[in-house]
Parts: sequence; structure tokens; C-alpha cells
Amino acid sequence: MNPPTFEYFAPTGIDEVIDILAKYPGEAKILAGGQSILPLLKSRISSIPYLVSLSEIKGMSYVVEGKDGVKIGSMTIDSDLENSDLIEKRFPILHDATKQLADPLVRNVGTIGGNLSHADPANDLPAVMISLGARFTIRGKKGSREVEARDFFMDTFTTALEPDEILTEVYIPFWGRNSGGAYVKFKKNTWNFSVAAVAVQLELDGNTCKKAQIATTAVSPKSGRVESAEKHLVGKPLTDDVIKKAAEEVAASAEPVTDSYGSEEYKREILKRITREAIKKAISRAGGN
Amino acid sequence: MVELSEKLVKGEGRFVDDIQMPGMLYLGFARSQYARARILRISGAQLTHKEVNFDIAEVGEGATEGGSELLKHPVLAKDYAGYVGQPVAAVYSDDRYVAEDLIDSVDIEYEPMKAIVDPEDSISREEMYPGVKSNAIVDRYFGDDFTPDSTDIVIERKMVNRRIATNPIEPRGVVAAYDGNKLTVWVSTQSAHAIKEGLSEALKMEPDRIRVVQVDTGGAFGLKGGLFPEYVVACYLAMKEKRPVKWIETRREHLLASRPGRGAVAKLKLFAKKDGTITGLKGEVIVDNGAFTGGSGEFSPIFIVKQLAGAYHLPNAYVRALSVLTNKAPQGPYRGAGRPEAMYFIERLMDGLADKLKMDPVELRLRNAATETYTSPLGFQVEKSRPFLESAIRELNYEKYKGKENVGFALLILYHATFGGESARIKVEDGKVRVWTGGNAHGQRHDVFIKTLLNEELGVSEDHVEVMKGDTDMLAEGVGAWGSRSSMVLSSAVIVAARKIREQIEKKQGKYTVQALLAGKWDHYEYFNYDRMESSLGANLVTADVDDYGRVKVKDCLSYYDLGRVLDPDNARGQNAGGAVQGIGQVLSEELSFDEDGLPLITSISDAGVLSADLVPRFDIKFHKSESPLPSKAKGVGEAPTIGVPIALSRAIELATGKTILETPIKPEYLLPVEKE
Repeated sequence: MNPPTFEYFAPTGIDEVIDILAKYPGEAKILAGGQSILPLLKSRISSIPYLVSLSEIKGMSYVVEGKDGVKIGSMTIDSDLENSDLIEKRFPILHDATKQLADPLVRNVGTIGGNLSHADPANDLPAVMISLGARFTIRGKKGSREVEARDFFMDTFTTALEPDEILTEVYIPFWGRNSGGAYVKFKKNTWNFSVAAVAVQLELDGNTCKKAQIATTAVSPKSGRVESAEKHLVGKPLTDDVIKKAAEEVAASAEPVTDSYGSEEYKREILKRITREAIKKAISRAGGN
Repeated sequence: MVELSEKLVKGEGRFVDDIQMPGMLYLGFARSQYARARILRISGAQLTHKEVNFDIAEVGEGATEGGSELLKHPVLAKDYAGYVGQPVAAVYSDDRYVAEDLIDSVDIEYEPMKAIVDPEDSISREEMYPGVKSNAIVDRYFGDDFTPDSTDIVIERKMVNRRIATNPIEPRGVVAAYDGNKLTVWVSTQSAHAIKEGLSEALKMEPDRIRVVQVDTGGAFGLKGGLFPEYVVACYLAMKEKRPVKWIETRREHLLASRPGRGAVAKLKLFAKKDGTITGLKGEVIVDNGAFTGGSGEFSPIFIVKQLAGAYHLPNAYVRALSVLTNKAPQGPYRGAGRPEAMYFIERLMDGLADKLKMDPVELRLRNAATETYTSPLGFQVEKSRPFLESAIRELNYEKYKGKENVGFALLILYHATFGGESARIKVEDGKVRVWTGGNAHGQRHDVFIKTLLNEELGVSEDHVEVMKGDTDMLAEGVGAWGSRSSMVLSSAVIVAARKIREQIEKKQGKYTVQALLAGKWDHYEYFNYDRMESSLGANLVTADVDDYGRVKVKDCLSYYDLGRVLDPDNARGQNAGGAVQGIGQVLSEELSFDEDGLPLITSISDAGVLSADLVPRFDIKFHKSESPLPSKAKGVGEAPTIGVPIALSRAIELATGKTILETPIKPEYLLPVEKE
């Protein structure tokens, strides 16, 4: 369990990071918390000739409340999100996810930027960010740009990042007064990836659903919005029947594969049940019944 | 009292991978990617079978002369690969990283063949090797055929304990060095002497040119009792290059290519009268041997079948014991090694019979518990179990749980590997009492009870005693630490050796005193011979709930085991809890599964199903103390929880879900409740 040879860089500024990424396009990768990349290297599933560590760069770890939302530095570790009162109060869905993400040892080192940029469909944070409507700040040779979370995840392990680009900040907009969300994760063992997980973020008008954003984890090649299921909710009173139909649609539109975690059918069934649970929890957090 | 374990958990142990020597070479293996394939060509390797032409195992029963040679596990594959992960070629470097790079540069050309994966299919498939009579390396009947009474009730069940990796926290590992005459081997093991014997045989070297030293060993669970191909290659290379060689297993290699345990299927019929009295047992047990001998597949089905009477009076039995070739790594012993399988099969039949008769399962067990010690038709002596069961029902408070909780109950008989005896040497010099024993700790606390016994026998305080690790140069012979041997025969060897030391002193000085002991130079080697297989009884009670998602919550895990004299209560409780966790893991999640081409589906520890701490239940551990006939008066405990807990837990889950549980692990989807519309 030793990695193949690589060259290691630990620059002190983002511009330098971008320079190195640009110099070795596709061959240089960023090392943030290392919780995905190091196992890949050590098990020799991947070979990465140039590794650019962010450990020497200051000021990339923060959770700051703004007027319309919260800004999170991409080097913020998962346990800082888990322990943030601001996150727990404003985005309970993200709190749900971070407190169940892998195990405490991983959370003490793993970063939000790494979790998102790795684009593993079994990672928890992509679905949460998509359902919250987060925006990502990306920097590269051509300067800075913003990408919506829902446009960021292109495929398994593939994002909208160009080879010379780095995700520097996550911005999560505040939702309206009667909003709430929940992330429900079903896993075999406490440290395992999900068998299935779902993020549901809702805004209510009385008992009617005004806005709904749903995304899934580990049941499709990439995390993405399940708009067909959202349509079942928006504009309707959230009765058990409506919730049931939306959950069925989430399960039906997923693309799980049979593996040692369970069969395709089993994963769909679990997904259906956790989606109902997540919608109900989101309704309750949004102040509905 | 706790200095050894503290040392280990504080990172102050010296495990095999901690050994550093100047000029050390690091060994790596290119392994088969196919479950069954001809090897056409190997390039880029430093060592292949052409040069390292050794085998591991003796041949099994049932093989013909011509085919039997092919059943032996070659240390490096010849022209055939029999399982994914089989060592095909070796590489080495003085840089560990480079050694791993070199593995990637080995190119092996294969001609894949259709793998034999399902043990139940193996016999009907073409022979795996030319010249073998069939794919059954063991095929024997035990007991005598009988005609059941036509009015008897029959319970017919197919039960499966699927393969499990042993997964000690420290994987396998070895360091070998050679001085031109003598080969010294440091190894993570349960038996320095077994490794020495195996190496001598495999390398065809005189035993006195091999010294094997046990280093701190981080768990073993049966895996580390035997010799492995990688160790032989490491020794060969050390002698060839006259440099120290290290090989440390990765977890992935462990999951692919160490010897996993369980892997047994039983198809059995239990006959009984309408009042629940059992009258006979028929059927077969099939062990998934893997592609070569050298594990425990030649022995395992026989051992399982002989125990199938459980702790009951079984008047008639006729059972076939089969071990079949499959394209998997050789099956090996895993904590209990045939005992958990046997008791699972008979106990799950008993629960099935109770349900059919609408009887309380514990009531049924009471009705059938042996009232006298007798020899079962399948071969093993069954000890009188009824009085023990009666006290177990009281001690485990069964009546309190019955009808209120999903409660499973198991009655077990634990056959101890006491036969063969064990060795011990006590050497006193410079005021220090040093003790070497044939079996050694691999996660237990042999030092604690050895010090207790020496204090009793010689009056010497524990700070004068040093318990050494296994070392074949310090001890002429030895067996090893498994099958509850240490608390029984090893402790007895220590007691007898201590008494001999006392005699030496009395003879020389007329009278024994501790001062005389510590002031003098004394040395005694004792081989404590014992040729009986002892047994002890045990019982478990487990409660569990299952939620709407089919997730099992194990609540209470109670045990009541006959330990005879309890040599070290703390250690016994630790063994009990650890074994129970492994038993729960077997039921809920641990498995090495394969696809239809024999490709392993479990290649990472995160998927191996090892239990996490949040699933550990509440324990209540009680001891029954009926002394054994051995000098130490002790019995064994190490295997008991891995035998009893899976049985009782399976029953508890059965009651919680209404679904019959006949396989371990239980697939989570099997437990997912169907929703009412």
C-alpha cells in the first residue's frame, strides 16, 4: 500500500497552484485533505505524477455569514462544518450530512472543496449543495468564475473544473422563512459510503410546497437534481400521497447498480423510503406539518 | 497487570513491520487476476516457479496419485492459476516503493478457463485437475445408515455459513535473514514451531538450520497458525541474496489470498418424535475448500460432521462429509474453525423443530440435552449437558426474556484442541525467571496467567517473571496457540515445569525457597503430553430488534460458559466480548463474496463487513466453573462466543422479522420488511 512516484508541491498562494496546474494539464491534481486521493494512490488505482498540496495556503478555511448567504472556504474541514452553529441553524440539511460523513477521523481532515471536486457520486456533499442551490467560485488562468452546484457535477469523478482550475469558495444562499431541508443517509456500517442517500430542500407556503430541490447520493453516475420528482411536490399540498408519489419518482429515476451493498431493486426500495423520510423531515423543519 | 496491552496500544510493541535491518530487501508479489487460467507466459518478474520450485501442502484424501501433486499449493504458480490473488511471480527491491512499482511491471499472459465457484456445483463439474478422481478432496460418511420411523417429524434445512476473512488488525508478515548457515525468521504467528516445521519441509532444509522467532502479533484468529507461500519465497530470497527480506501483506492481499474461514453448506434432515425427542440426523456437509490443499479443507468437513450431535442425545446419524475444489483461496481456520459451523447447523435445526412442534426452543433443548456422557454415532464424545443447561436457563434469565423480547438461545459444546499437549521452559538466571511456551499470545494475555501460576507454584512475584515470545531455539518443541490450548495444556505445561524446578531445588538444597530459586541458575524444559480432546459446555442468549429498514439492533448479548478454573477473568471477559463481536459480524455483514467468474467482490476493508463499534451490544458475561481434569483445572473460552452468538442472534432476528434465517451473513435486503399498501 505505497503510492507510485509523484512530485509534490506545496505552494503558498492560489496563483502558484494555478500555475502548476496549468503547467501539467491533466497530470497535476490538488491534494486538499487527502481522504480520497491518498487511498486512490496507495491502492494504486490512480497514478498522479504531480500533487499540489494546499496545506501551506492560508485563509482558505472559513465559514462566514453574509447578508444573503454563507460563504465557506474550500479548505474548511468537514468537522468544522459539522460543529458550526451557523450551519446547524441555517442549513440543517448540511449539518445532517456532515455529522454522518465517513467517520470523525476522516471529517477532521477531509475538506468541503475536496469532497465536491472529487465528484464521487457516493460523496455526501454534492447532493446537499445541489439541493441547497449553492454556487461555487472557481479560479483558473482565465480568472475567476461562478458555477451553480447543479452544473458543476458532470459525471462520475468529472466536474466543470478545467485542468488549471481550482474550487476556492462555496456560497450557499439563504432560503426563505418557511424553508427547511433534510439529508437522510442509509449505510451498511457507520464508516461506509451510502447504500443510498437523499437531500431534500423545501420552501412552503402554508401547507403547500412553493419550491423543492431534491438530489441523490450513490444511486446514479453523478449527483443531480431529480426535477421529475420535484414537480410532484411544487404547487401542491404536501399530503402523504403527494410525498409517496415524489419518493416513488426519485426511486424510479435513479440508476443504481447491483454490488456488494445490495441489488438494484433493494437500493431503489431504500431510496424510496428514505426520500419519504427526508421530505417529512424537511417539511417539519420548514415549519409545516 | 496491564503492562503488555498498554505497551501495544501505545505503539510501543515491536511488530514484524517494525523490524528494520541494514540491506533489507522488500518482497512483492504479482498475483493472478483470474480465478482459473492457464499461465502462458510471465515476463518482467525477478522470481518465478522456474527458480522457486517449492510447494506448501501435503495432499488430501480422495486424490489419485497422479492428480494429487497438482493439489499442492505451489509457492509460485506453475502453469496454472487457481484463484484470484494466487502468487504467480515475485519481485524485490531495497526500496519498498520500488518493489510495488515492480509488481506493476510484471506481465502475465493467461488463457482464462471457466471457473468453479459454487461449492454445490463443484462435484458435477469437470475435474479441476487432470488425474483427480473427482473435485471432492474429502468424501466420507460418518455414522450408520438407519431407517427413520414413518411417524417421525422431519425438519429438512439447507444452511450456509459463507466465507469470511479472518481480518486480524495486523495482516500477515515475515522477515527472513540468512548468515550462510542458519536461516532466522521473525514472524507474526500463533506458532513459531509450526512455521519452522513447514519451512523445513517446503525448503527441504534441516530443521536445526532454521530458527523462527515470534514477534508481537496483532491478532491471528486461526490464520497465523500455518505457513504461507509468501513466507517460503521470502526465506528463499534471503538465502539467495544473503540479505534480510521483508514481506508485509496489504489488506487487499489479505482479502484475496489469505486463508478465509467458514465456507460450509449443510443439507440436513433432523428426525424427531412428536414429543420433540430427536431420533436421527441425515444429510451432508460440504466445505468450500478452494483450489489447493494446505488450508484446513482436508480436515474441516470431518471435524464439522463429528460434532453434529451438538450437546444432545442423538441415537442415529448418517452424514456425508465433503470438501470440494473451487477456484478460491484455500479455506482455513477462523476462530472456532468448524465448531461454529457444526453448532449453527444443529442448533438451527433444533429451532426449526421447536417451531414445527410449537414448542419453546429451550424446552426442546432440555428434552434432548444429554443426560449421560456418551459417544455420538458421528464419533465425538458428548458430555452430559442437561444439568449445565438447567443452570444456564437460570443464569441467563431466560424466563424473563421469553415472550417479551425477540430472544434467541444457543446451547453449545466446545471441543478443545488439547490433543498433542504443549511445551514450556522455565529458565532462572540473574534473579530473573524467564518462561518460553510452545503457544504464544497473539492478542491475548498469556503473561497474566503464566505469572499467576508461577506465583502459586513457586511463590515468585510477577516482577521477577518475564514471559518470552515463541522462539524455536529456546524451546525444542511446541505446538501453538489455538483451539483453547493455552488455558488448558500450555498452562499445564507451565505448572508441571514449575514443579520440576521446585524439585530440582529441593533435591539440591533440601528445601525450596523463593530466595534459592532467584539466587540460583535453574532450567527445565517440559513437554506436557496430552492425547485427549477435552470439551466444555456453553450457552448464549441474544436479543435483537429490526427496524423498518431491516436494520438489526442487537440489544443484549448474554453468555454463560464453562471455563473450569478461570485463570484470568479480565482476559476471559475480553475474549468473550471480542468473539461475540465477530459472531455478530458473521451474522450481519462479514463475507467474502465472489461473482460467477470467481472474481472477489470484497477487496477493501471498508466492504469486508467488519462490525463497527456502534453495533456492539450490551454484554453480560457469566462463568460456570466445573474444573477440567488438567493440572491447570481450566477449560477454554476463545471460540465459545463465535459458536454461540451467531446461533442465538439468528434466532432473535427470526423472531423479530418472521423470516427463517439459515444463512450467514444475512443479506440486508432479505430483512427489509415489505410495506403494506
